[in-house]
Amino acid sequence: MKQRLRYLPLNELVEGMVLGASLTIAEHGVTNFALPAGHVLTEDNLCQIARRGGEFACVAEEDQRSEEDRAAEQVAHAAQLQRIFANADKERPAVAGLYAAVLAYRSL
Amino acid sequence: MPLHLKESEIIERAALLPAFPTVVNEILETLDDENAAMGALINLVERDPVITARVLSIANAAVMAGRTQRDLRDMQVAVSLIGLSKLREIVLAVSLAKFSRESGMGSHFWEHSIAVGVAAQELSRIGHCSRDFALVCGLLHDIGQLWMARCHPLEFQMVRMSMEQAPDLDILDAEIWHFGLDHCTIGRLLATAWHLPASVISAIQHHHDAHPPADKLIAVTHLGEAVVNALNIERHNHASVRHVSATACDVLGIDWRDDFNFLFGRIEARSRNLTRIFS
Repeated sequence: MKQRLRYLPLNELVEGMVLGASLTIAEHGVTNFALPAGHVLTEDNLCQIARRGGEFACVAEEDQRSEEDRAAEQVAHAAQLQRIFANADKERPAVAGLYAAVLAYRSL
Repeated sequence: MPLHLKESEIIERAALLPAFPTVVNEILETLDDENAAMGALINLVERDPVITARVLSIANAAVMAGRTQRDLRDMQVAVSLIGLSKLREIVLAVSLAKFSRESGMGSHFWEHSIAVGVAAQELSRIGHCSRDFALVCGLLHDIGQLWMARCHPLEFQMVRMSMEQAPDLDILDAEIWHFGLDHCTIGRLLATAWHLPASVISAIQHHHDAHPPADKLIAVTHLGEAVVNALNIERHNHASVRHVSATACDVLGIDWRDDFNFLFGRIEARSRNLTRIFS
């Protein structure tokens, strides 16, 4: 089954979730806590993340959506973005760039 | 009947707002001196028992994550455990949340301000400018709307109705029609009266400009709001992106062809986290 990445705030993280990207917490530019992608979160990890001021993590989950559901979500995201950018000039590179970047993010 | 407000009237009627938290100015003034800042920050916070209690409660929850019996009751201990920069962030957000709440603004206003503050902070990493200044600019960027809602609620509602009836209408044009001034101008006047730093005043004034001046704080505020609206973080039907300044992108070194998935995910997750904590 495919995996999908989700970015969750601290209070929505639970033991057993798998990190989809490495988690690093730094203070004054110095990394003081790190966990690699693929690591399975433990209760102790969650305490450590909170104690060190971590606010979120990227987790990988099995994507249980069907191809049809995925396609329908894509269409809905694209329609929503069209509405949000309806008054912007999408010929301008900066506008088009942000539009494309958000669309790519919503395709995860 | 549309108002034709003059700039002088904005400050006169600002007396209807609660007192602006001077702790914000004092934090921004002491950013460069970490040692002086710690003692000063604790003294500033302890002057206000409501803010002290809120800061300790948030620090306690953050540090202990509700998993131990230990309880933080002392600001010195709170600072030593969560760090100065985190405490500064908490104090800024708590002070401005209190100001927004006492001004009678709905939760949607504060949620949008938090999201733009977080986005501005995250963009400040790319542009290498102050996280605290970026947070304050994001939290205060729409302060002119808060004045409008408090001082002339009827006209404020009429702006909202105009926007609903004509979704392609520029909010600044609608505000000028009903008020004679837009929220960016009103925000500039308020921020000046509250003696906020010139860079914060400029960010509030220019955040809606199609072609804002080339300045990093203006850029993080302008793009922060564009990103928050593009992601529709507040999940309502009014989110709209009108301008994305190429100058702002250049000033921060942003090339939208890069991978922004992690940045967007970070902004969404942190906004949800901080909205939960500070609402």
